[in-house]
Amino acid sequence: MRKAGIIIFWAIASLCVIALVTLPINLQTQLIASIAVVTFMAVIKILRAEGTWRLTALAFGTAIVMRYVYWRTTSTLPPINQLENFIPGFLLYLAEMYSVMMLALSLFVVSMPLPSRPSRAASPGNYPSVDVFVPTYNEDAQLLANTLAAAKAMDYPADKLTVWLLDDGGTLQKRTSANLLEDQLAKARHQELQILCADLDVRYLTRDRNEHAKAGNLNNGMQHSQGELLAVFDADHAPARDFLLETVGYFEDDPKLFLVQTPHFFLNPDPVERNLRTFEKMPSENEMFYGIIQRGLDKWNASFFCGSAAVLRRQALNQTGGFSGVSITEDCETAIDLHAKGWNSVYVDRPLIAGLQPATFASFIGQRSRWAQGMMQILRFKFPILKRGLSIPQRLCYMSSTLFWLFPFPRTIFLFAPLCYLFFDLEIFTASGGEFLGYTLAYMVVNLMMQNYLYGSFRWPWISELYEYVQTVHLLPAVISAILNPRKPSFKVTAKDESVLVSRLSEISRPFFIIFGVLVLALIVTVYRVYTEPYKADVTLVVGGWNLLNLILAGCALGVVSERGELSATRRVKVTRRCEFGLDDKWYSATIDDVSVNGARVNVYAKTIGSLPVDTRGLIRFKPHGSNIEEILPVAIRNTQVDGDIITIGCQYLPEVAHHHSLVADLIFANSQQWTEFQRSRRGNPGLFRGTFWFFGLAFYQTTRGLAYFFSNRGSSDKARKPARANK
Amino acid sequence: MIRSLFLIVALLILSGTSLRAQNLPFDMTPERPADSPALVSPTPEQGTNTPASQPVTVTPDVEPAEVQAFQRYILPNGNLGLNGEFENLTWSVYLTPQQAADGTKLNIGYQNSIFVAPETSRLSIEVNNTKIADEAIRSSESISERSLDLPKGLLKPGANLIRMQTSQRHRTDCSVQSTYELWSNIDAEKTYISFADNTSRSLQSLDDIKAVGVNEEGRTRFNFVVPALEQPGATIPLMRLSQGLAVLADMPNQSFSFSRNTMTAPAPGEMTVLVGTPAELLPYLPSLPIGAAGSAFAGFVTDPATGSPVLVVTGASWQAIQAAIESIVAPTETAAPVRREVITTQRWRSPDAPFLFSDTRLGFSQLGLRTEEFSGRRFRSDFTIAVPSDFYASSYGEAVILLDAAYASTVLPGSHIDVYVNGSIASTVPITSSGGGILRHLPINVTMRHFRPGVNTIAIEAILATKDDAVCAPGTTGLEAPRFALFDTSEFHMPDFARIGQLPNLAGTAGTGAPYGRNGTPTPIFMDRIDDDTLSAAATFLGRLAVGAGRPVAIETVASPALIGNRNAIFIGSISQMPQMVFTQMNIDEASRNTWGPDPGGQANGVDTQTALDEWRSKLRGGLWSEQINALENWAKQNFDITLSSLRFAPVSESNFMPSSEASLLVAQGPSPDGTGNWTLVAAPTGKDLHEGMVAMSAQGFWEQLGGRVTTYEQGTKTVQTVPVTTFSFLPTQPASFFNYRLIAANWLSTNILSYAVLLVILVLILGLATASLLGNLGRRQ
Repeated sequence: MRKAGIIIFWAIASLCVIALVTLPINLQTQLIASIAVVTFMAVIKILRAEGTWRLTALAFGTAIVMRYVYWRTTSTLPPINQLENFIPGFLLYLAEMYSVMMLALSLFVVSMPLPSRPSRAASPGNYPSVDVFVPTYNEDAQLLANTLAAAKAMDYPADKLTVWLLDDGGTLQKRTSANLLEDQLAKARHQELQILCADLDVRYLTRDRNEHAKAGNLNNGMQHSQGELLAVFDADHAPARDFLLETVGYFEDDPKLFLVQTPHFFLNPDPVERNLRTFEKMPSENEMFYGIIQRGLDKWNASFFCGSAAVLRRQALNQTGGFSGVSITEDCETAIDLHAKGWNSVYVDRPLIAGLQPATFASFIGQRSRWAQGMMQILRFKFPILKRGLSIPQRLCYMSSTLFWLFPFPRTIFLFAPLCYLFFDLEIFTASGGEFLGYTLAYMVVNLMMQNYLYGSFRWPWISELYEYVQTVHLLPAVISAILNPRKPSFKVTAKDESVLVSRLSEISRPFFIIFGVLVLALIVTVYRVYTEPYKADVTLVVGGWNLLNLILAGCALGVVSERGELSATRRVKVTRRCEFGLDDKWYSATIDDVSVNGARVNVYAKTIGSLPVDTRGLIRFKPHGSNIEEILPVAIRNTQVDGDIITIGCQYLPEVAHHHSLVADLIFANSQQWTEFQRSRRGNPGLFRGTFWFFGLAFYQTTRGLAYFFSNRGSSDKARKPARANK
Repeated sequence: MIRSLFLIVALLILSGTSLRAQNLPFDMTPERPADSPALVSPTPEQGTNTPASQPVTVTPDVEPAEVQAFQRYILPNGNLGLNGEFENLTWSVYLTPQQAADGTKLNIGYQNSIFVAPETSRLSIEVNNTKIADEAIRSSESISERSLDLPKGLLKPGANLIRMQTSQRHRTDCSVQSTYELWSNIDAEKTYISFADNTSRSLQSLDDIKAVGVNEEGRTRFNFVVPALEQPGATIPLMRLSQGLAVLADMPNQSFSFSRNTMTAPAPGEMTVLVGTPAELLPYLPSLPIGAAGSAFAGFVTDPATGSPVLVVTGASWQAIQAAIESIVAPTETAAPVRREVITTQRWRSPDAPFLFSDTRLGFSQLGLRTEEFSGRRFRSDFTIAVPSDFYASSYGEAVILLDAAYASTVLPGSHIDVYVNGSIASTVPITSSGGGILRHLPINVTMRHFRPGVNTIAIEAILATKDDAVCAPGTTGLEAPRFALFDTSEFHMPDFARIGQLPNLAGTAGTGAPYGRNGTPTPIFMDRIDDDTLSAAATFLGRLAVGAGRPVAIETVASPALIGNRNAIFIGSISQMPQMVFTQMNIDEASRNTWGPDPGGQANGVDTQTALDEWRSKLRGGLWSEQINALENWAKQNFDITLSSLRFAPVSESNFMPSSEASLLVAQGPSPDGTGNWTLVAAPTGKDLHEGMVAMSAQGFWEQLGGRVTTYEQGTKTVQTVPVTTFSFLPTQPASFFNYRLIAANWLSTNILSYAVLLVILVLILGLATASLLGNLGRRQ
């Protein structure tokens, strides 16, 4: 009853606001109202008011956005009898309306995200049996060894925990392939992994045919196991020790719970972060999703399965016949089916696994293409807004998640719309300079402020636009093909173990330079027209300014596709852990400074050693977490650096037995707290102005870097096109 | 053209010497084909059988002997200026059947600016859509007259459309600015229809009242002679008769004059109206028509003394006279709920203005515009539309012109098309592409800010720049190649607009006679005394209201203001006699009762605080900070028309009004004591001022300026001053509807712009709270 009252009150308040913003007031009134609203929002933001004030600020923004929509709809469309203007004008209108709709959906999702849940540790003595699935297709043994070792090392009663390696690269189909090379590789892989699993006390499972890709593989695993719960880890996602303890407890609370999802934390930067060098100081792209959006979805019981780092209930999956495999994003699809059957999900906002993400721009695009295409398939086959069984908030949430991937269309339109005017003199947006100031500018400012309000410390200004732009160029064809041929896209495993040793242009960078060139041309045309056509300089300046924004983004994207070469193959994680370093049967006091999946840097206190030859064998002795016995890991010294009494030794692991992988996993993955701390260190809201200035500076630098790569690397691009494998 | 030159020559030398020989030194058209007959009338000879049309000699109607012949002046507003490169005006002249049959010639007198190039400038005249003249404009030295034959059968009984159009080009200058130097002035005194004989003067049926016509200044006057003028029972019938006459004649500048005993001499544009019992009228009209003595009679009688027609309204008693008055007035009466489709304007411009109440689309052809091709640099064309008195959309509203036009490839970008509403700029559309273009239903938003109740004139002006004009080689101004075309398929689209009566709103009263025109019950009218001047002023004012309302306004006289209560009412009289509550309700300083009047000393009454303050401000401009603020203020004013005073939450309260000593007439409006009635005051320091001021004010040019809450007329400077409405109350005129309220709110908030911002902030705060409690209660929470 009280709820109904609140809903009615809210509806009346909304209707009043709608009635007010759809009044056909004059421009002066609009200007003053815009100024008032922007001022209010700025004050609320400066005061860092939260709670109700946050929603009020968003309501303010919404009012201006609605006024813009009203005005845009009623006054700015070109006359329909001027088709040359109307068609592009209407496309631009649609693109803007899409953006507004996405804003509305995301407002719904994230206007009051659920606060991070307090730790819900599993009750002692009440541990359900868990099958851990690590599906693999082509990842190499060492990577798998780390993951399996980390999974095996999770704190959980051993009799309740079964780790499965689900190998799709060694299936009977592959081992008897007509392709001789494939056949040989599969056989060798089958052999190697079986041994590895035996060493690590992990169950190895493969199947006859590679049907339904990852979903089929997981279902095969389900058929061979009986655990009450399933935990799924991608081959490169190694769990922390407390993963299960932090997640299984929720299943005890809610018998209708089918999923506990945790964030994906990445040890290495994505190509954008790597090439822009922002990994250490700016929150990663996916933190907006895992830090805010999943929490927002969780409020509406709509947080969905992301393919890895999650625990699921077998009973629920059995109801839908296991993991769904209609789309190539089986994870979200499975979640939507189970939500529709009345099952619940929970999101735990704490990184409990660490993984790798694609290092090269091309594989990054490949991964995003899969997501985009998969979401298009879900949109097509499941159409969430009409999906029976989902609650209304869940429908909106899933619409938000799937429609998001249509962004390549509006991005493309926003990119080319100013060119319609600058090159072809089309007037696709009829507005005067004053109206532009009173409506469009206010809308843009408010939009940026709302974005900053919603995602401030998780997403800096203009970064969303940059990510969307760099993906759009290659995602647009992928999305179109998925829309036209929804059954065609097939599952492609994203390569995450590449690295870039030599600075080079990405092999798919050419369109970015072409677009950049076109936009530069448009800039020249802008300047030319401002001088030669002074009577419409105002319009030219506005459109030219828009084009300049596009140019800044496009320039920054040149930096993104200019891959920096890196000496270190994988990202290092700062650990600072006491140990002892063994050299020639002598033990020295030491601390492990940082670690990666391949090696570690150790500070050794020893006056006497001096510089050591490369490939000298050494030993690291330390206590793994949750154990009192010191263990020894053999390493090979790669470099040394003497600084007074301290010698800094860079070394590479030399795992000889399977147990050594467990030690490596312990060094890197055991402590999930360090990941949380690392993420926190990057989170900080630079604010709209500082963020914008910073971004423009970055864009300028990246433009020059991109152009420098372009002119110096043209000759060597063929050589660079073969991505170097780092882990060999 | 040649012919008119001849006329001048003939007048100048008054001799019978060879016209041709005398003419040659004055002939300025060497390029004219030598073989063209110099004396041929422009109208084709066939079809005109009247001897007067023989193209042989100087027409006789300019001979002194013929001055007595009956003429009808035709210019509705006095001298007519046709300015710029292209202008036209169409209006109608009402002719009696006799006049239509006997009208033989249309005489035109005009003078033009010295800058008008005769080779390329033309004046054309159409009567009833038949071109009767199209000739070069070449009369810069003095007024020249042309007598144009009217083919038999061209004139019709009733309304006859006359169209005058000029296409003028500058002799040397190609700039847009120079087009303002182009004018042709049609002289009212020399522009008339002349008739074969004097019988056309007589008026027969009551319908012929419409043929009252104008004098050489474009004025129309009904001279009432009423011996029993001061009889209390006479006032209402007389006011009704004058209103009926006003509606019938429907001329733009009508006035009424009352006299007990003086019959004025007949004059053009005037009509004498005798009202009284036969006995009373005997001194003025010895021979009343047969039957008039017994029963009521209303009709024309020829005054034997002057031979001119006199309208006689008589009856045995005032009851009978009232019946006679009804026979004149009844046809003008319409049932009140009928909504007018048009406001009649055709006596001064045709077609009538369409009366727009809601969403309407009108083609330009319906609005009287024709497709025009234009080769000059400044094209201007206009049309009229009318909006009701409860129009309330001037702050937010925008009408749309869907323009069909074309411009040639020679037209340079930077040219523009402007739209003016009642002379104020309302929109500008730049032409931004070169190479010519065809505009198909190009929407032009026209702000309704300058719209006012009643008739509105909307002008479209195209300013066309070309390379040729920039160079301006000799002959450029006369180039014939069209640069611009306006097609009559263009449309004017009036959207639904907010409709609610406002009080006070003199503009509404002036435009459509609101609210008195639609009063169900008679409107009380308070006159301080019943004498010639007061009645004249009252009749003139009520006549104006009746014309605006399209029907006579029912009135009743009240002896005491106390009887008025809260009804709509009109107060007419000298200021000193006005009841005290009128001053209170109209917010007029009561001191004006004693002090208003011509200031004998003529000294300025002190220094105006606001102007003085502004002057000091501009004098003391300086200091970086205040300069910045000033710059910002100016910028906001220039670009967005936002001033500090427009930033307001609600209307500011208005101050007491004190008429200036120069003012000779005051028209004011205010609410009745309880706010439901609409009171209008027409006052002057003296009865004479009242009469003269009202007559002057009733002229169209001034009447259109009536607006705000107080309007004053200054006799000395012949100017009208308006005190704008600041506080007003709403008077619902429409059935309650959400959409109308929405538009009313839009207009009110667009006027009080801070209120919108505040309202938005408040509602959004509430929404924010509502959302917070909603989200706090829905979904998961922890």
